[in-house]
Amino acid sequence: MRRFNISVNGKTYEVDVEEIKDGVPVSAPVASAPVASAPKAAPVSAPKAAPAAAPAGATTVSAPMPGNILDIKVGMGASVKKGDVLCILEAMKMENEIVSPADGSVVAISTSKGASVNTGDALISIG
Amino acid sequence: MGTVDKLVDLQTRRSAIEQGGGETKIKKQHDSGKLTARERILKLFDEGSFVEIDAYVKHRCTEFDMPETEAPGEGVVTGYGTVDGRLVYVYAQDFTVIGGSLGEMHAKKICKVMDMAVKMGAPIIGMNDSGGARIQEGIDALSGFGEIFYRNVNASGVIPQISVIMGPCAGGAVYSPAITDFVFMVDKTSQMFITGPQVIKAVTGEEVTFDELGGASVHSSKSGVAHFKADNDEACIEQVKRLLSFLPSNNLESAPYYDTTDDLNRLSETLTNIVPDDNNKSYDVKEAIVAVVDNGDFFEVQKDFAQNIVVGFARMNGSTVGIVANQPKVLAGSLDVDSSDKAARFIRFCDSFNIPIITFTDVPGYLPGVEQEHNGIIRHGAKLLYAYSEATVPKINVILRKAYGGAYIAMSSKHLGADMVFAWPTAEIAVMGPDGAANIIFKNDIATSADPITTRQEKIEEYRQKFANPYEAAKRGYIDDVIEPDSTRPRIISALEMLASKRESRPAKKHGNLPV
Repeated sequence: MRRFNISVNGKTYEVDVEEIKDGVPVSAPVASAPVASAPKAAPVSAPKAAPAAAPAGATTVSAPMPGNILDIKVGMGASVKKGDVLCILEAMKMENEIVSPADGSVVAISTSKGASVNTGDALISIG
Repeated sequence: MGTVDKLVDLQTRRSAIEQGGGETKIKKQHDSGKLTARERILKLFDEGSFVEIDAYVKHRCTEFDMPETEAPGEGVVTGYGTVDGRLVYVYAQDFTVIGGSLGEMHAKKICKVMDMAVKMGAPIIGMNDSGGARIQEGIDALSGFGEIFYRNVNASGVIPQISVIMGPCAGGAVYSPAITDFVFMVDKTSQMFITGPQVIKAVTGEEVTFDELGGASVHSSKSGVAHFKADNDEACIEQVKRLLSFLPSNNLESAPYYDTTDDLNRLSETLTNIVPDDNNKSYDVKEAIVAVVDNGDFFEVQKDFAQNIVVGFARMNGSTVGIVANQPKVLAGSLDVDSSDKAARFIRFCDSFNIPIITFTDVPGYLPGVEQEHNGIIRHGAKLLYAYSEATVPKINVILRKAYGGAYIAMSSKHLGADMVFAWPTAEIAVMGPDGAANIIFKNDIATSADPITTRQEKIEEYRQKFANPYEAAKRGYIDDVIEPDSTRPRIISALEMLASKRESRPAKKHGNLPV
């Protein structure tokens, strides 16, 4: 079975095409099922393992809502004061300033510029 | 016994009661950073105005150790007095007398002052400092709680009810404060919880301290149970007095009027530049509120909870108003479960007590997310719509910037009965933001374009020019006027004067069914 995008009068249709010889499908549709499900498991765990885990005792600032990291304003080891802007989270049509909850230094950056984050995802840790 | 002896006897009895649990217990109370019930009452009322009632009430329990137990004043001091010259009723639990525990007669004393407060139409303040139900009195103690809850509910919307938590308040006892209009908590010395740390450890294995579980910080920032947090008893009582200054004594009166030195025609230059030119940038909406109200005096309620919406009291030309404002600085000012609950409850308080509601709108929408949906944003968001629609007090809305989609409707829109809706020229009132709308409306143009990115930008700009302004809504009369930001104060005051005689009747019914 093969899949095509077909455009008719400006409308795009996604079409599955199956070859039939002498009234019998060339490949039985049942056979393709296990192939499709196999690759799904892998990508889920991959990105989570990448960022360095925050050291114990550090305060981790997490995303207050889902959005995209537009910019990271601090580097590893930078010293920050309470209220300093750590990164910019673009969400709800707004560039939201994510600020440091305490004085300290940046001990872990768990996200990257352009990353899309969900509520509760760790962003930056202050120790 | 002659009259003189009888007078001496009266003196002896009275002074014994005024000693509460005695010197040692009073010292212990002071050492733990708390005032006694009587000291708290004296700090609250105008000097010499407090009149105690029911001082001689005694418990009637004969079980266990109770026949020999002396409980001066039954562990609660009740009475009335004046605060800034206005009548207020009070009950203050006395922790020095058998832990301020609540028994049958203790509850009867509280119920009596509550009944008086309703009859006379004056606020009631309950100062909670109690170990909970008096176990020896068994089901009579439970009956006591029930009688108090029932009165709290009947008094709700008739007189302002204020709970001040100045010690433990645990188990069933928490539900009286929960029903009342405002809950104050003193940091470090007060706790509220249904089941304590020991029970939680036994049942779920979780280890938690009293303060982490139900301290003032947790309840004022996380659970939203407390409306105000204070550092100590004195500061807490000062906050209570300040709150009282904004409130009418009952639902048939208006809030007290104060002469103001602030010019009603004052223009606020700061408002002209408060909304950033880049509409993706945030600002602090409290700066706008402070610039508009009398003398910049804004008394915020639930300051640390659901900070994406700001609520509180202020005065306009001397009269109390309730303020509700989206806060673009937190969660982009979007509406979520907690902010909807917070604003809805505040609006209903204002409506109950004839306090006009002024709304400052800058809302991008309801907060998206599985968590929000599964926590019932539909059910909670509905409360906000319900509260605004139900309110018949004067409702004024000023749209500062964004007013998108369902959240536009929810924030005191014309459609929900707002009396005057103003918009600043910076307002963007539309069904959704330009980015999202362009992606849907111009989907095909973008998909078939040779340069989809440029086309998309062009279409977003086209949509922005056409709809992200106040004039589409004004064309249809959904906005009453587009105003210069600096004239916001005079325009609101003029609208409030016009609306002073507002009368609006609704179909007769027992009560509506607010989605709780």
